This record gives sequence, structure tokens and C-alpha cells, in this order.
Amino acid sequence: MNFRRLFLICLICFGIIFAVNFTLARQKMIQIKGSDTLVNLVQILAEAYMEKHPETPIAILGGGSGTGIAALINDTCDIANHSRPLKDKEINLAWEKGVEPIRFIIAVDGLSVIVNESIPIEKMTMDQIGAIYRGEIKNWKEVGGSNKPISLYGRQSNSGTYVFFQEHILGKQNYSPHMKRMNGNAQIIEGVIQDKYGIGYVGVGYVIDSRSGKVRKGIKVLKVSKNANSPAYSPSDKAAVDSGYYPIARPLFQSTNGKPKGAIWDFIKFETGPDGQKIVEREGFFTIGSAHKAQNEKNLK
Amino acid sequence: MKESRMSKIIGLNLIFGLVLLGLTPGLSALQSWKMTIYYDYTYDINDDGYLTEAEVDSNNRFFFRRAYFQYENKIAENIKFRFRYDADRKADDKFRPFVKHLFLEWKDLIPKSKIKVGMTETLTWSPIGEKKWGYRSVAKTLMDNYKGVTGKKIDATSADLGVSLSGVVSKEIRYAFMVSNGSHYSHPEKDKYKKFMGQLHLVPIAGLSLVGYADYEKQSEDESALTYKADIFLEMVEGLIFGGEWFVYDSDVNKVNDRQFNRSGFSFYGRYAAIPDKLNVFARYDRYEPNTEAKDDEINLIIAGVDFTPVHSSFKIQPNIWYYSYASPEKKDDIVFNLTFYYTF
Repeated sequence: MNFRRLFLICLICFGIIFAVNFTLARQKMIQIKGSDTLVNLVQILAEAYMEKHPETPIAILGGGSGTGIAALINDTCDIANHSRPLKDKEINLAWEKGVEPIRFIIAVDGLSVIVNESIPIEKMTMDQIGAIYRGEIKNWKEVGGSNKPISLYGRQSNSGTYVFFQEHILGKQNYSPHMKRMNGNAQIIEGVIQDKYGIGYVGVGYVIDSRSGKVRKGIKVLKVSKNANSPAYSPSDKAAVDSGYYPIARPLFQSTNGKPKGAIWDFIKFETGPDGQKIVEREGFFTIGSAHKAQNEKNLK
Repeated sequence: MKESRMSKIIGLNLIFGLVLLGLTPGLSALQSWKMTIYYDYTYDINDDGYLTEAEVDSNNRFFFRRAYFQYENKIAENIKFRFRYDADRKADDKFRPFVKHLFLEWKDLIPKSKIKVGMTETLTWSPIGEKKWGYRSVAKTLMDNYKGVTGKKIDATSADLGVSLSGVVSKEIRYAFMVSNGSHYSHPEKDKYKKFMGQLHLVPIAGLSLVGYADYEKQSEDESALTYKADIFLEMVEGLIFGGEWFVYDSDVNKVNDRQFNRSGFSFYGRYAAIPDKLNVFARYDRYEPNTEAKDDEINLIIAGVDFTPVHSSFKIQPNIWYYSYASPEKKDDIVFNLTFYYTF
């Protein structure tokens, strides 16, 4: 009997020692997970922050908005990156698990519809893009191109971009089952470059080649109009995005469990402040407006 | 030999999955497969307990406990099918596959709800409790584990043929109902009576869940069975989950010398994520009361262990210890150590 008790006591002590040790270790590093659209931008923001604060390491992982939000709800990250708002299901689950997501907007994205550079089309309406991605339009000639099949590239279902595009472009209807579901923006761009009949959608920060400052070779960014009677705008047109004329602009979010404190607070303050916003702009995204700034400040207080 | 049989089972499952994929090539992107397997290396720490004494000549063993193969096909944004094959050791000690889930799930046919039709998980099985406990690979939850520990039946099958409706009224109120055969997923229905289950899940404040459950089934013209159950879950400290479960199984069939008795039990458990995605610790206490009218038949069970993810979430090592103690002075305590291996891919 003594042996049994000793064994159990040892096991419990072992658990406690591990728990204390690793909890202390965990508190030192900021863990960020989620949106693939945001992963590169936040990585660059984190590197800039760590240069000034080497005592605060930051680890960033992608995986999609759904993955990041799930990680926040499951206490496996400090900040979730997401390119769509939380769903009702996620809000309910967070409540059940004692998590209170506080949301910040760190950048604005003009979601970009791209095609292979050989496609002789410069613009499309929201309806046309929706019909293409629902699988109702299957040939480029139906939207003014040549008589060739359309090859669809999109994201996997745990992507915030997938959900945003489905809600705003497809009218909440199903994607075509023939769409190739890629793991990230970079894979979509690669797919469209390689595919002469390809079309895809990516965050605006991914369409510009950082070295040349121009649109990546092999793709073309389409102008998008709300309908056939309205003018079409480019997602790189800051004025059109800011004014809401570009129809598929969206805020990019970060969420924390409760109001952020300590180093997490400081990092978000940096991202949403002047230095962070300069990086946002440099990386091809758009800076946040005054309403978003005010909301961020309120949540940081 | 048994491992070879297991390989055949896995092979057949994979072939079945590939055939399904071949039948619906255009929908391949909307289909998903998942395999989950767990097995133990078990070592009896003592050799003079009620259970361990009988196994004195074989005090350590490798033991394949479970293999799941799951196929899901999302045919529309709100409709999906699920097929789950399960394999475990049956009474004849052979590792056999069987259909565990085979249902259609339709979301939002009624707003903010989910309807399932077919062979689906029951509310008795407590999907919420299973998620909060989180270690089915180590031990089933109290009611599901009842027969395994006590040897007594309580009509608490984890899956059954029927229809269920679950939904959300608000973030504070969720509900579920189910009507099923009540005959267990591995048996055909033998009578005209159906089992009715209802569950109310309240989350009055963030991180506190209260779940009430009841089911009723007529078992013959004169006999019926009723189960009532309550769960509580607390998630108010980062990484820490506490849960509790209590139930009573009240069946007219349970009689000794014309005296009716109930079966009951309660369980408390907690788990803590020491390093998120890497290392968790967990512990649980169960108390089983197989006959409320009998003395000295209670069983206490303490389970404690560590959940370690060395490389990737698809592979976990979960060393755990089970300590049984018995109210009966004739039964000596048992202590069993399991090194559980968990794979999912």
C-alpha cells in the first residue's frame, strides 16, 4: 500500500513541477496563430517589434483564420489573426469555455481577384465573379474571354478569406466542387501563374512583388465593380478602398482573450500605432481609418 | 496475429474510403477522412488486487483498444454525411470492426439547429462531457465506462439509430432532443418502444456550464427505465478545465427479491495544459454504486496521467495510472499502469 501511495504522490508532484515550469516558460513568448493572409504581415511587424524589444520573443503560425480562432478559444495562443469576424458558433463556444475575445483591426485588405496574365480580361462585376466561383459560368468566353474552360483556385474552408469571399461574392452559396482548395495565398498565386486559364483570390499584400514594387509576374489583378453599371476599381487603389468604392475590401483582425496586458498589449499598440501602420502600408495593405483607430484605443484602455 | 488482423481491418477501411472517393470524383474536395487509433502497454503494479490477482500470470501486455475510421462528405454547405467504422475487442476477445456512425446531418433546417438522422451519437453518451474530459483514449466517461468497471448494465449506449435535434437559443442556452431505438448500436430493435432523450445546457456566465439530462424508455408493458444526469464544467482559469458528472439509472427491471434498486455514480475530473499543444496533466475520480440497496458494492476509481505530444498533434503518449478501491472488505485494491499511444491522421 505504501508503494502505491508513493507512486501516486510522485506522479502528482511530477505533474505539478511540469505545470509550474512550463507555465512560466509559456508566459515569456507571445504565441500568434491564424489567418494566412496576415501571417507574413504580422511576421514583419513582429520582427520590427522584436528589434526594439528583444526580451519579448513572438512566434507566428498560419493555418487559417478558423485555426487561429480555435486556438484562442482553446487557450493555445495569445493572439488570433483572422480575416473574418467570429461566427456565432465560435462566439458561443468561446463563452462556454470562458474566453472573451477582444477584437482589434490592424490593417485593411482589398481582396484581389487575380487571373493568369494571358487572360484577355481587365475587369469583372461581383455577379460575374460569384457565378464563376459557384460553377455557373464555366468558360472564359461567357465573360468576354476566349473559348477556354475556367480553372478555379480558392482557399480551404478554415480560411477566413474563403468564408469572406463566400459571404460577399457567392451570396453564401456553395463553391463549385471543381475549385482547387489551396492552403494559402502564395499557393493560389503559384497555381494561377502556372495555369493559363486560372483565376484566384488573394489578399492585396500578396499581389505585389516586394523587390520590384509591381504586380507579380505571371498574374493580372482584375478591377472589380459592384454591378454592370458602376465603375470598376483596382484593389490597389487606396482611395477606392478607403471610400468603399472597391466592393471587396475588408478589415483584418487580431483578437485576444480579454483585454490584452503586458507585452501583448504593447505589441498590439505598436501594430496599430504609427510605426506599425507604416509597415502595413509598405507591405501592400491599407492603414486603418479613424473609426477603427478609436475602437482599438478603447479596447486597449 | 491480432496485429495482423488489425492491419487487415485498416487496409479494408482504406480501400473502402478509396472506393467512395472513386465513386464521387467531382466532390473529392468536400470529403474528408480521419483515422484514430489508441492502444496501451499495460502493467499491473500490484498482483493481489481484485482484478490483478486474476491476471497474476500475465501482469503486462500490449492491448489494442480502439481504431476509428471516419469518412465525411459535405454535399452542401449545411448538409453532410458521416460514416464511422469502429473496432474494439468484443466479448469473444476478438478485435472486430462495426459501424458506429452512419448519419445525415442537416444544419439550420430549423434556424440555429442541427438535425441528425441515422446511427448517431446519443445524448446519454454526453458529447459535451467527452469533449471536456478530453481523454477517451485513456478512459471513457462515467456512464460509458460503467459496465466496464462494474460489470453492470445501465442502458447507456454511445450511439444508436434514431433522430436528434440540437440547437442554440442564445449563447447562454442550448438544447438537444433525441428519439432512438434504445437498443444499442450493435443490436437490432426488438420491441416497439423507443427511447426519448432530452438535454438542456446552460452557460449562465462565461466558463460555467450546467447540463441537465433525462431519458425515458418503456421496456415492456409494465416496466420502464429512466436515467437522469447532471454535469458541471468550469473553465475560468487559462488552460484549466474542471468537470463533474452525476447520474442515476432507475429501471423497473433492476430488482432483487422484488425490491427495486437503482444504479448510480459520480465523477470529478480536471485537466491542465501545462504547455499548450505539448503537455497536459489530467486526473479523475469516479465512484460507482451498482446497487443502491446493497452494502459494500461501491467502487472508487482514481485515474491520473500526463498527455505528451512529442512531435505533432497526430501522435501523443499518455502514461496513466488507474487505482481501484472497493467498499467490499473481500476485494483488495488494484493499481494498473497504462502507457497509452494515441494516433490520429
